[in-house]
Amino acid sequence: MVAIRIDELTKQFEAFTALAKLSLEVEQEEFVTLLGPSGCGKTTLLKLISGFLDPTEGTIHINGKDVTRTPPEARDTALCFQSYALFPHLTVRENLEFGPRQKRISAHDRKARVDDVAEKLSLHAQMDKLPNQLSGGQQQRVSLGRALVMRPSVILFDEPLSNLDAKLRDQVRIEIRRIQKEYGLTAIYVTHDQNEALAMSDRVVVLNGGRVEQIDTPEALYHAPKTRFVADFIGDANVFSGTVQGEVQPGLWRVETAMGTYDVATSTPPKEKDVDLCWRPESAVLGDAGHTGKVINRAFQGHFTDLMIETKGVSYRVQSRATSAQEGDTVNISIPPEQLILLERTA
Amino acid sequence: MSARKWLLIAALLTPGLGLILVLIGTVVYIAVAQSFGFYTITGESGFTTQFWSDMIGRKLFSRSINYSIYVGVLSAIFSVALAYPLALWLRKPFAGSMAIGAVLKAPLLIPGLVAAFLFINIISYNGIVNQLIQWLGFSDAPIRMQNDSNAIGVLILQTWKNLPFALLLLTGAVRGISDEVLDAARDLGAGTWARFSKVIAPLTVSGMQASLVIIFIGAVSDFSFQVIAGPTNLQSMSQLMVTFKDRGDWNSAAVVGVSLMMIALIGSALMAIGARLMLRRRLT
Repeated sequence: MVAIRIDELTKQFEAFTALAKLSLEVEQEEFVTLLGPSGCGKTTLLKLISGFLDPTEGTIHINGKDVTRTPPEARDTALCFQSYALFPHLTVRENLEFGPRQKRISAHDRKARVDDVAEKLSLHAQMDKLPNQLSGGQQQRVSLGRALVMRPSVILFDEPLSNLDAKLRDQVRIEIRRIQKEYGLTAIYVTHDQNEALAMSDRVVVLNGGRVEQIDTPEALYHAPKTRFVADFIGDANVFSGTVQGEVQPGLWRVETAMGTYDVATSTPPKEKDVDLCWRPESAVLGDAGHTGKVINRAFQGHFTDLMIETKGVSYRVQSRATSAQEGDTVNISIPPEQLILLERTA
Repeated sequence: MSARKWLLIAALLTPGLGLILVLIGTVVYIAVAQSFGFYTITGESGFTTQFWSDMIGRKLFSRSINYSIYVGVLSAIFSVALAYPLALWLRKPFAGSMAIGAVLKAPLLIPGLVAAFLFINIISYNGIVNQLIQWLGFSDAPIRMQNDSNAIGVLILQTWKNLPFALLLLTGAVRGISDEVLDAARDLGAGTWARFSKVIAPLTVSGMQASLVIIFIGAVSDFSFQVIAGPTNLQSMSQLMVTFKDRGDWNSAAVVGVSLMMIALIGSALMAIGARLMLRRRLT
């Protein structure tokens, strides 16, 4: 069942279009991440869903109800803010009780909800403390708890981990996902961190310049990006412009690039002759066959070695788990046809 | 900390803090001493509680206290109540907000006495308000608004004069609240009033208390507005003090003066505590 339906949503700030005719459907209990660089429109979209911004055009439905013009206080959503936005004058308990009090939930139910959330988020020891007496991770948990006690249909996260250190970020990331599954919440999560998006999401919406580049599962985004932007943005990628020569075998297309000729295995025939060809650095096989290149840079990364290789004046990246190649060495590189991806050319 | 450092700190503080303490201390000492019969200018000096017992028995004195508290409390509340929406409106800069802010602060630059005269001219029998009322046909004859018995004129003047001061304190306090905190309250279901009473007011309580206290102290001891625009059947405490002084009764004037100081002190403490308690109760 669809929890959120967004149709042709446009948001303009005077002459600037922050979102252009964006459509999206989010299923019940799904965890969807809005991913993109700064200024791509992801926070604008979150604010439109939460009601803090009014769209220029388009509609938003939550659980079948049109909420396009409903104010935030009347929406069945709860937002976890980037800065946590805890009420500094209230204790943790009072922060958690704030929402249920506004909704006039009975004292008994309110206490039950707060105790339940406090236990699940291990906040019992902090209940009488003020926010400034808590660590960043604890504040994050209170912010999450304050949203959870509302028992919203939709929970929204605005880059909630961006103020945490790397180790804590991993812990809280796992915690958020666990809680979301446990409560059966529909979640929309905004981040510009691709690792976060890939690790947490059921689906990821990649935004660029106010438009959707691709909506897919993390695996599909990584292994089958549709555009050069998505290939570049999600993980490391080598992307080259190429020209389709033709189908050499059923499902195997030959593409000419500046580096040489590649055979690409694809079930979807290319729509145009001019294409972008992409492959992941870890897909390359160093051996006796394939194109010849010169190692121009080598960086040992622990579980793999990062090599920058140059072939016919074009440099690209290769990651290998077992290579003794050093800077200045000549190597042969081949890429299996099924690891090559044809990308749609975008304007 | 070494004794040398303490001495240095004391030496640095003495010119400012020392002067203030000496001046306040002298005034308080003289006023209290005079109220108990010392430093009598026209007669014999000596300890007596006569001036206090006489004054407490006078109806004029109790009416004066009630009236001054009435003006002080209402002026402080009206000024702060009107300053809050303006402070919230001016919280985020917009085209013309600086000009509006400057105009709103203009009363700070106008002396109270001048403002009182201007006000009297406006509401007098031949003033523009009466002319407008007659021109619009609401009344055939001019209405008497000057020196009204409920001191509405004084309250208007006090509010007009003190609102910019409250605005100055509250604007800074309101600007210190992050947008995300207000958005969070809204997201959790708080409407406009709940956002104000449960988030904005508690987070700006220090500014609110400072405004209430300072405006209360100023208004409770009002002289100029009362003399020009106040009711003729009532006297403020400052007015009463001057009346006794003009009669040469410095000791009775000192009793009124000490009472005024105590009322200002106790009243402002009560207002500050009251504001905090009221907000605390609203939160729980």
